Amino acid sequence: MTTQYPRGTGFKCDFVDQTPMPADVPHVDELGVTSAPLKSAAFFLGSFCKDYNEDFMLCKSESRDPAHCLKEGRKVTRCAIDLINKMRENCGSEWDAHWECLDKRNQELYHCRQPERKLNECMFDKLGIKKVIPGTPEGRTPIHEKQSPIYKSIQK
Amino acid sequence: MAAPYRQDMPPAGGFESIKYKRNLPLRGPGAYAILGGVTAICAYGFYRLGQGNLERRELEREKVWTRIHLLPILMAEGDRDQYRRQQAAIAREKEIMKDVPGWEAGKSVYHNDRKHSPEVRIA
Repeated sequence: MTTQYPRGTGFKCDFVDQTPMPADVPHVDELGVTSAPLKSAAFFLGSFCKDYNEDFMLCKSESRDPAHCLKEGRKVTRCAIDLINKMRENCGSEWDAHWECLDKRNQELYHCRQPERKLNECMFDKLGIKKVIPGTPEGRTPIHEKQSPIYKSIQK
Repeated sequence: MAAPYRQDMPPAGGFESIKYKRNLPLRGPGAYAILGGVTAICAYGFYRLGQGNLERRELEREKVWTRIHLLPILMAEGDRDQYRRQQAAIAREKEIMKDVPGWEAGKSVYHNDRKHSPEVRIA
């Protein structure tokens, strides 16, 4: 989306609009995180940035105009950057292990429960964020904490 | 010369007893045992299937929630980019149509306030 291929790399980029953002819009760094780390961190992002995310989505439900929610969007991105930096500092190796596993295993969470448990544990110990899947039926073990699930990877 | 006379007699110890009894080897468990066993295996299989269906539903929910949690972040990023391109497009339109009096750059072609995504996209 925001990827802009530099000129001279052999990539045809005549259609990439290089116009910068208008100066009256404050600058915010983009996340620059690929899909696997994002998926690995999704539940932590969801609970850590809950207020900003909900604010943004409420704003979007007011109007779909991209100009309408730029301020809320910046808050969402800043919060995500904040959490990602914290994760890198505190649980860097666990996070790496989990998202590399996801990258290798078709981004299926049930293939990567072992690294995920370590990451969840670390996140809870260091940052106090717990992974909760909303809507899990009462009294049943959440799927990510199940010790012997039926769906698991056959290859170790 | 004739052979000396010799009476033919049974072998020493007598003849073997005649095998007239039916020889049927053991044929495994009985019908009810097999029926019961198959029923038990099927019942266990269906139980596992049911548990697996419940589990798959939970896995699906987990996956959906990862996407729901990531949606605002991705949307915010996309919106910024779209806003930037929109502003550039309006500036471009202004420049092109500067000689046409009464032209409003960036005006929607529809007579309502709903937001439409641009028909022509420049990445």
